Amino acid sequence: MQSINLHLKILIAVLVSLGILITGYQIYFLDIPVTEDETDDIWSLDAKVEFRASPGTPLKAQFYIPPLNQEYVSLNESFISNNYGVSVNSQNGNRRVTWSSRRGSGTQTLYYRLVLTKRYSEEPAKAAPPAPRQPIPLEGPEQVAADALINPIRQHSADIETFISETIRRVNDITDDNVKLLLNGGTSPMDKARVIDLLLSNARIPLEMVHTIRLENTDAQSPELWLRSYNGERWLYFHPETGQQGMPDNRLVWWTGSQPLLAVEGGRQSNVTLTVTNSEMNALRLAKLTTENRASALLEYSLYGLPLQAQRVYQVMIMIPIGVLVILVLRNLIGMQTLGTFTPVLIALAFRETEIGWGIALFTLITALGLSLRSYLEHLKLQMLPRLSVVLTFVVLVIAAISLFSHKLGMEKALAVSLFPMVILTMTIERLSITWEERGAGQSLKAAVGTMIAATLAHLLMSIPELTYFVFTFPAVLLILVGFMLAMGRYRGYRLTELVRFKALNKG
Amino acid sequence: MFFWKTWKALADNGVMGINRRNADYVLKYNKRHLYPVVDDKILTKERAIAAGIHVPEMYGIIETEKDFDTFDSIVANHNDFVIKPAQGAGGDGIIVIADRFEGMFKTVSGKIISRDEIGHHISSILSGLYSLGGHRDRVLIEYRVSPDQIFKSISYEGVPDIRIICLMGYPVMAMLRLPTRQSGGKANLHQGAIGVGVDLGCGMTLKGTWLNKIISKHPDTTNPVDGVQLPDWDGFMRLAASCYELSGLGYIGVDLVLDQDQGPLILELNARPGLNIQIANDAGLTARCHAVEHHLARLKKEGRTENAEERVAFSQKHFAKNLDRTPPADNSTAESA
Repeated sequence: MQSINLHLKILIAVLVSLGILITGYQIYFLDIPVTEDETDDIWSLDAKVEFRASPGTPLKAQFYIPPLNQEYVSLNESFISNNYGVSVNSQNGNRRVTWSSRRGSGTQTLYYRLVLTKRYSEEPAKAAPPAPRQPIPLEGPEQVAADALINPIRQHSADIETFISETIRRVNDITDDNVKLLLNGGTSPMDKARVIDLLLSNARIPLEMVHTIRLENTDAQSPELWLRSYNGERWLYFHPETGQQGMPDNRLVWWTGSQPLLAVEGGRQSNVTLTVTNSEMNALRLAKLTTENRASALLEYSLYGLPLQAQRVYQVMIMIPIGVLVILVLRNLIGMQTLGTFTPVLIALAFRETEIGWGIALFTLITALGLSLRSYLEHLKLQMLPRLSVVLTFVVLVIAAISLFSHKLGMEKALAVSLFPMVILTMTIERLSITWEERGAGQSLKAAVGTMIAATLAHLLMSIPELTYFVFTFPAVLLILVGFMLAMGRYRGYRLTELVRFKALNKG
Repeated sequence: MFFWKTWKALADNGVMGINRRNADYVLKYNKRHLYPVVDDKILTKERAIAAGIHVPEMYGIIETEKDFDTFDSIVANHNDFVIKPAQGAGGDGIIVIADRFEGMFKTVSGKIISRDEIGHHISSILSGLYSLGGHRDRVLIEYRVSPDQIFKSISYEGVPDIRIICLMGYPVMAMLRLPTRQSGGKANLHQGAIGVGVDLGCGMTLKGTWLNKIISKHPDTTNPVDGVQLPDWDGFMRLAASCYELSGLGYIGVDLVLDQDQGPLILELNARPGLNIQIANDAGLTARCHAVEHHLARLKKEGRTENAEERVAFSQKHFAKNLDRTPPADNSTAESA
């Protein structure tokens, strides 16, 4: 006995920890969402590259594409181009695609598409801190103008952060003569960024240009320029015109540096159109997509790997243990009496078709009619099998009659009764009538009510969508359930009803 | 809070619940493959006869519908007899024939039934109408027990029986079951019979239980149920204790009757005896079972086993009621006398 107990304890421990581990792995490592209605944004970035080919020359288009080491993870990336060779290479944290072709004529169109999502990514790789820089050499009046700007900036700032802010503020003040001189007539963000870079280089502060795209549903957006600098600990982002510090979350870095987005050799009138579209996807399907991308096939072997039709069936089936657990608790912990062991679970399944209210009403009606027939048959002293057959046939007839009447009365709900498990009803009637004779009306009524309560509870629990989703997605929780059931197998405390039954012995 | 206090009180009194009975006793001591011995009354009887244990004499067995032809010869020499299904439960399907009347039969309740009606009843039993799970069954025709006169004042119709629960052959608790009008002459507590506790030490009845309540009078005869001395109590105890060797089951309820001519007889064995016996005895089964288990462990260490006589002696020594408190028995005997 001792060894059996130890065996049981180990078994329970193994099952429960296995269940917890697998479920935990699914939740924390595979990032499978815990509820069904978690959805995630999916961003499609479409770039359309157009240019006119110069006849007779080889064509080469170099186009920056977003690096994949950010807070977003790529679900799909595609290059669509006819008659072009494609190669992707990375340099300085940027990725660049090179389309090349021996010759071409007329307007060339190349497409690039990247599908991204925010979740399920590993920690993004941090951009490496920049190397210490040398001042950009200036001459004559430019040097004077730069010095004239830097000195007050230095006085008004305390550290790199405030220095950069101050610089941006001053460079954007285009009424300032020094600024005008340095801008040399240009007022685009790019020009300002160049001047800011110049000034900062004189203060030996590193600066990088970051070209970003907004993840918003927009047609034709152009990359937004941001500046970033390294303060020794982390990257600081600044907007070159407003001086706003910190880049909003919905910005995706496309490339860094001062190079243009597209460089075309052997072509002219080049043009890039960037389109961002957003869609939502059920988080689980997304997880599946990302998992496939990462070549971990654990989800493939989950119930989601089944055909859709079969999934429906299993969504019902996998909940049956939950119903059984309800019966177990009601019978062994609470001490409620039910007819048969798993009859309530089967009735609960039948309730799926009829809805709970109708289910109870019809069940009561059919059972009551069946019972009266059964008590009549009792007088005829029939053998068991013929008697059961008569009751079953009667039940079928009653069900048919109920369906017919309710249909004529326009209550379509009651039609679902035809799916009531007739054999279960018959056995319920038989058991009920035996209990009635052996233990009296009170006992059998108690058992019938107990059965209805158990069935209702089981049905309610089994039809919680969140729970169904959870058990279906994480079937390993059933192992935890089995652990509990095993423990119940050796439970020897009182049932709650026994506290009342043995009240006479309560002398405490 | 109420639950916890009650729980605690019951546990302190060593009251056994269904879960504990099943997990610690029925599943632990009763091997499944031995169940047929107790489920089939014919098998039980054959085993008992082989072991020299007193049972109501078996007149005959009817196994098939065709065997019914032998019915007349089986009952030829007997005016009264009992027809029962071998695997029946709860006393269903039992016909007690008390006499013959003009070629017909008369039941105890005075109803006259014909030979054909008995034939139909026997065929119903054979088809499994009364057996557990509806299996095909056999019919047992046996001696009709006539209850000892001592029960006259405290029982209504039927035959009172004595249930003794034995753990590994040690009687741990006993109860006298008295039929009532409500139970329809059956000695089954579920059907409304009274259970009356019996002092294991001397065979004196204690208070009773009826529908989970403690009572002291029979509801039909209004005579007090306590303080009745059961005759030949040691005989009952020895019979019950010897059922362990007979059945091999460690935790059983032995149902015995007291025949006015033949004394204590074994009626049947039950592998899942009910728990209301605790209310009748106002004592907990767990406490007593633990005592027996301790004793067994000690014996095992000493490497010896005890025979039925020794086991009875142990039980009578340790589970006698008047050991723990002064019995109300003396007063009530005086009253009833």
